[in-house]
Amino acid sequence: MPISRRALAATAVAALVLPLSACGSGSDDGGSSDASGKVEGNITFQTWNLRANFKSYFEGVIADFEKQYPGTHVKWVDQPAEGYPDKISADAAGGTLPDVVNVSPDLVAPLAKAGFALDLDKSAAKYKKEYLAGAWASHQIPGMSGTYAFPWYLNTGPLFYNKSLFKEAGLDPEQPPKTYDELFTDALELAKKSDGKVATLANVPTVEDFGRYGVELMNKEGTGFAFNDAKGVELLTKYKELYDAKALDPQALTATPESSGKKFLTGAVAMNPGSALDLGNFKKQAPNLYKNIGITDQITSTGHVNMYVMGLMVNAQTKKKPAAIAFAHYVTDAEHQMSFAKKVAIFPSTAGSLDDPYFTKEDGTDETRVRIAAAKSLKTAVNYTPVLFSDQMKTALRNEVAKALQGKESPQDALDNAVKACDTLLQQQG
Amino acid sequence: MASSTVPTGSRARRGSRAPEDRPVRRVRRQLPSSPWLFAAPGLLITGVFVLYPFVSTVINSFTDRRTLIPGKFVGLANFRELLDDDMFWIGLRNSTLYVLGVVPALVILPLLLALLVQKNIPGITFFRSAFYTPVVASIVVVGLIWVWLLDERGLINSLLEIIGVGRVGFLSDQWLLLVSAMAVTVWKGLGYYMIIYLAALANVPRELHEAAAVDGAGAIRRFVTVTVPAVRSTMVLVGALSSVAAFKVFSEVYLMAGPSGGPAGEDTTLVMLVQRTGTGLTGRVGYASAISVVVFVVTVVLMLLVLRADRKDES
Repeated sequence: MPISRRALAATAVAALVLPLSACGSGSDDGGSSDASGKVEGNITFQTWNLRANFKSYFEGVIADFEKQYPGTHVKWVDQPAEGYPDKISADAAGGTLPDVVNVSPDLVAPLAKAGFALDLDKSAAKYKKEYLAGAWASHQIPGMSGTYAFPWYLNTGPLFYNKSLFKEAGLDPEQPPKTYDELFTDALELAKKSDGKVATLANVPTVEDFGRYGVELMNKEGTGFAFNDAKGVELLTKYKELYDAKALDPQALTATPESSGKKFLTGAVAMNPGSALDLGNFKKQAPNLYKNIGITDQITSTGHVNMYVMGLMVNAQTKKKPAAIAFAHYVTDAEHQMSFAKKVAIFPSTAGSLDDPYFTKEDGTDETRVRIAAAKSLKTAVNYTPVLFSDQMKTALRNEVAKALQGKESPQDALDNAVKACDTLLQQQG
Repeated sequence: MASSTVPTGSRARRGSRAPEDRPVRRVRRQLPSSPWLFAAPGLLITGVFVLYPFVSTVINSFTDRRTLIPGKFVGLANFRELLDDDMFWIGLRNSTLYVLGVVPALVILPLLLALLVQKNIPGITFFRSAFYTPVVASIVVVGLIWVWLLDERGLINSLLEIIGVGRVGFLSDQWLLLVSAMAVTVWKGLGYYMIIYLAALANVPRELHEAAAVDGAGAIRRFVTVTVPAVRSTMVLVGALSSVAAFKVFSEVYLMAGPSGGPAGEDTTLVMLVQRTGTGLTGRVGYASAISVVVFVVTVVLMLLVLRADRKDES
């Protein structure tokens, strides 16, 4: 049958225009917070790069859940680490966000603001007491009421150092720096003795470093950033001294956590933050380093180390709210967090779990020593990264810090500019 | 094919009374739609993956749309903001420098390389393949290899130290970083453009070279007066292709300078800025679209300039 040119043109225009009319989703409807009803139906659960190593664990958890709640079916999808925020944003914009999503606090904030995250203070308040208070609060957003994800596993890590590099510089390898002042003194000494060939640190200070140094990161209302105070300037000035003396690696301005980890492995850098997981890597990839590895606590001026929090967010638009909430709680309850912690070096966010002998009893191995020290520090740890601190803000801070280190701007001007840029981005977030 | 036998022109449109023309008339009735049907898959793909994103980007550039929040019309606000955005000017500067640094090298060096491997001598296939290998290698792999080579403790710096030059901050100095990224782009692109030149050189009549040689022209003279004019249109093509690719550079600089775009973001290119601004859950899609529109306009202008220069030369 002949097709007229008009019909074809109309089809082409429709093909172009229809998708346009569908674009720009996002929803004003935050979804009902009513979670009453029978736990049943099909839900989708999305994790963040966990399938490769924990396939059987999650399949077991899902099977147990489906057995406990007949009539439920959980479809598990796992996304690679790279581009995870982009995947979530594409799903949210396309209306295909899974029912239960693995998130970190900085991912929850924009999702909650756009109405995609369920307020658990309304829908699942009865579970609140099961979790550490700090962990529950980590998914609360300044300027909004409510909590937008179940706290899942926590992580923190010690500071690793290369004992042989300390020894070569005439420093006592058994007495690593414990305070920022000691760190700066030792770093300058190490650079001097190695003629600038060995740096102590490989990364420029991030917002977490400012937090650990005791800098006030945001104002009390959470409406603006405040890390350009005297303490912030003091920290950046100290880092500038390190950079000039090559005690901070010259490539720190463009470093990533991966690249600084490699520098530590090759002995180009004397100290590097890490986790209990790294010990295995050292043993395998750098046996000489492993023989000389020193482990010390994160350096902090506040008495609180930094922790990373993972959470499970329930999609506010889910049609199976009772099942989604029940599953998110099931995965994050004390029993399952504990069993997960025994498979990998993470820590439960449930109240009382960190007092389990697994986190308190020494067995003489380095792994256990690191685990016990981390569990102890986690009880008072703080997630220093503000939940509203987006990737764009991280880049703005990093660029201004780099300008200060290069001497293109004074530390005060650099931090003033960083705060101004971050405040502008914060306002644009709405 | 039946349609290829169909007569065209006024006679065909009027129809013919000749009995032998009847089957032809039946085929002709299907003609108007048939080409469209054949073109439909291509048109659909172009519409969905080229036209729609393009139109969508242009529309978004006039809105304050964010990743999760539908925007409202803001007129030229995004473009006005660009004028005051230091990072935009840094991106424009770096992308322009990239074109200026990379395009001359990619127009000339592959031609010289093509001349070297053009001759059929034993073992030349190995060299042709070797020069082409970087083209098929993954840019991520290539980028990482070069990062290792240029690292403060990498092979190149170790050699420089041995010969007494001392270590050079290829990956920590903003200008050296940009030059290093350009070197990788040129190195990776040489083989591709070499193949294009080889095809062009195969069409240069040997008699012209012989005549020039008889007239006493040396190798350089023959290159300038015979080879270059003969492959001039290919040089224009290579210039156009490489300038567009260079202005839109992303991978090389991203891999070598890191996601932040080098020290203090000073090596950021425009496409990196689009990626950094417009992606993630808090991405400013409207603003990133405005930058993309600028990239598009500059790219079109670049193409027009190259083509215009070509026409001028021809006239």
